[in-house]
Amino acid sequence: MTPDQLQPSSFDLYPPLARSFAVEHLTLLRQLPLTICPSFLAQISDLDTRFPIERKTLAWQCDSLAALPQAKRDALLAPLRAIAMAPELEKLDWVNSPAAFVERLSAHLWSTGQINGFHDASRELFAAIPDQPNEATRLALIVVGQGADTSRASILSKLARKGIRLNGVNPATAQQQLLEAFAKHAAKGQEAYAHWYVDGGQPWVLPESVRASAIQVSYPQLSPLRKRVLERMQSILNTNQANAEKMRSDLAAIAPTELRSGQVASDPILQRFYTELFTSGSGTQIFSTSFVQWAGRELARRAQPHTVLLRYTPRQRHRGFNEMVSDPESKVLDPEGSLVDAEMDAYYNWIEMGRIAAPGKLTVLAWVEGSSKAVMVSPKTKPNTISNQAVTIEQALASFAVV
Amino acid sequence: MKYDASFQAVSASRRAFLRGASFSSSLALTGSAIRPADKTIVVTFGGGARDEETFAEEGQANIPNLLHTLLPQGTFFTQVRNAGILGHYVATASIVTGVYERFNNFIAQPPPNPTLFEYFRRELRRPETDAWVIAPSNGFQKIGSSSASGFGPQFGAGVILPKRLLSAASRNTPNLFDNDQLQHFLQDNYEMPSYDISATAQDNEMHLDTLESTLRLSVQDFVQHARTLDSADELSIFIARRLMDQQAPSLMMLTLHDMDVAHSGAFSLYIDAIQRADRLCAELWKAVQSHPEYKDRTTVYIMPDFGRDADDDPAGNGFQHHRTGSAMARTTWLLALGPHVRQNTVVDRAIESIDLVPTIGCHLGFSTNSPGRCIEELR
Repeated sequence: MTPDQLQPSSFDLYPPLARSFAVEHLTLLRQLPLTICPSFLAQISDLDTRFPIERKTLAWQCDSLAALPQAKRDALLAPLRAIAMAPELEKLDWVNSPAAFVERLSAHLWSTGQINGFHDASRELFAAIPDQPNEATRLALIVVGQGADTSRASILSKLARKGIRLNGVNPATAQQQLLEAFAKHAAKGQEAYAHWYVDGGQPWVLPESVRASAIQVSYPQLSPLRKRVLERMQSILNTNQANAEKMRSDLAAIAPTELRSGQVASDPILQRFYTELFTSGSGTQIFSTSFVQWAGRELARRAQPHTVLLRYTPRQRHRGFNEMVSDPESKVLDPEGSLVDAEMDAYYNWIEMGRIAAPGKLTVLAWVEGSSKAVMVSPKTKPNTISNQAVTIEQALASFAVV
Repeated sequence: MKYDASFQAVSASRRAFLRGASFSSSLALTGSAIRPADKTIVVTFGGGARDEETFAEEGQANIPNLLHTLLPQGTFFTQVRNAGILGHYVATASIVTGVYERFNNFIAQPPPNPTLFEYFRRELRRPETDAWVIAPSNGFQKIGSSSASGFGPQFGAGVILPKRLLSAASRNTPNLFDNDQLQHFLQDNYEMPSYDISATAQDNEMHLDTLESTLRLSVQDFVQHARTLDSADELSIFIARRLMDQQAPSLMMLTLHDMDVAHSGAFSLYIDAIQRADRLCAELWKAVQSHPEYKDRTTVYIMPDFGRDADDDPAGNGFQHHRTGSAMARTTWLLALGPHVRQNTVVDRAIESIDLVPTIGCHLGFSTNSPGRCIEELR
């Protein structure tokens, strides 16, 4: 079957929202080559349990591509259509198992040396889609360094090169003022799934005013899901046929219901999101630092939050991989290594939020927990500057945050 | 090629830094008089190291030995492109065949094209003890020889998998492993987590025989020494030095791999592994230069198998993986040291990772079928 043969009945096995979306965009889907149509279907088929903004974004992309002049669309799709496909790929059920098809396609593109051509053509195609209207101001608050020696002057150096290093923060009020800043920013918009607090350890208590509108999730809270994923990983390891590819594809195939994700969230959208943090993330199952970074990345990519608070706490000390899978509850922590991890992770969180923020609309503040050190990056900060002035978090945000 | 501009940007960043370093980038030839080197060691600085954490300005603190000790003694190529598949086994196989191999990275299989070891042994009529590979992972067990017609195991290199040696030792002397920290050596990293614990008794016997007949090391001494080490790469260097002492092979390849722990997302562990690899490369060179069989007659080539994804590539997750195929993941470097190699020299011209096999061939005097080219500066 090829995309031009798609019919409304092709999507009979899809959930309701997904089916209706596919049928609505059938004209476009029929025009897409087999190299890319299943990638669209992989997103469409999950639409019932995706964030509302993901549905909106996918609709925007499809509508924008459909609205392109035919000649331009044909020209953009031509390089994707020219990619040589293996006959066995064409025989797969790419309509009902699009994610599995995409994985096989990826292996084919690598092995035939066509991966760069595919990436180039995909980039060109998506570059033709105009940006969505995006007026939201976004605030990312990041906390690192719990339990570590934070005396190093170069702390958070990658992020600090992008903004101002604050060396006189009042540590006594910092935690409370961060929470208040989170609540204040979250109060500006009541959109669902727009405000998130992710913690790698025992979470702080959010102000009462924001508990209903913000989503709070922590590594310990998701422990039941994580342990079930680790059990799956252990069973894969026990086959003695595990490799990275098999591990990834086996984990990606796990449905939220298989992990009994209802135990940690009643909302099916959150059930899927939390499940996928462990089934699509690498290292999230064993390191809380990897979990917080990946959660921040996936939130930015998928939920496009307006407000996030990401708190990194010490992960377990590194041991052999198999040992960490079979015995995940180590009490021996590595605060110093975790701080180095979190410094890089905070930099990545800034990059990730920058991808979804409109120009001039993002403020990032990273505080080194328990210390007088913080870094702020916003349109009002100058790159690579330092302030040794005594300041509270509240004052720093008043001076530099975008409102 | 569409990626030229990106590759050049990666290389330019490295060049800019090197100009500021303490050594000269002149073409002046210093050091000993040119004479043919008759021993060769290839080290892959793996698995997967980016510029940012090595030769770019912000990474220099991680590689003090490469930068300040080794680089002034050798020729450094700033721009090595890997146009193949960015999986560790298939990429390393491509380096040793000089052909961009296309097979499944996750299936242990002999490369379809002849390896460096087979060219070397067949054409120069070298004995089987003269070529060895020390590899980090179970998946590398077939890398010593190819399935190519006219070649094969009879011309291949012996392959030592230190983890498998340790596993065999553990079966033979289980009491040595009770409540022991050595178990972590037996496990592969996040990208290749499984270790084949179902090895047969015959397989174990063969590996114990390797310990005793090739390395001339008792199981007890091997295990005792392993206890003093921190990582699989350190174990590999120990085996390499033992091989040098006991067999003095003319051709040896060593693949370092600790840094692939980056797949777990822990930046500190990735950096620790790079710093360790930097130290181990210096230790190996020091061992070469103090070994009567190797001193002043050995060429050492150090090269990453590939890089890792760029921080700002939305298709990846920065240093964690090597999945995007971007310029950052494909651009690496090569450092060559040896009596015929110009010292204190930086070469900006682009070369490819598959050029290494024909380069060693044209220097040592055997032909290859590689589409790569002999690197003139190292001939």
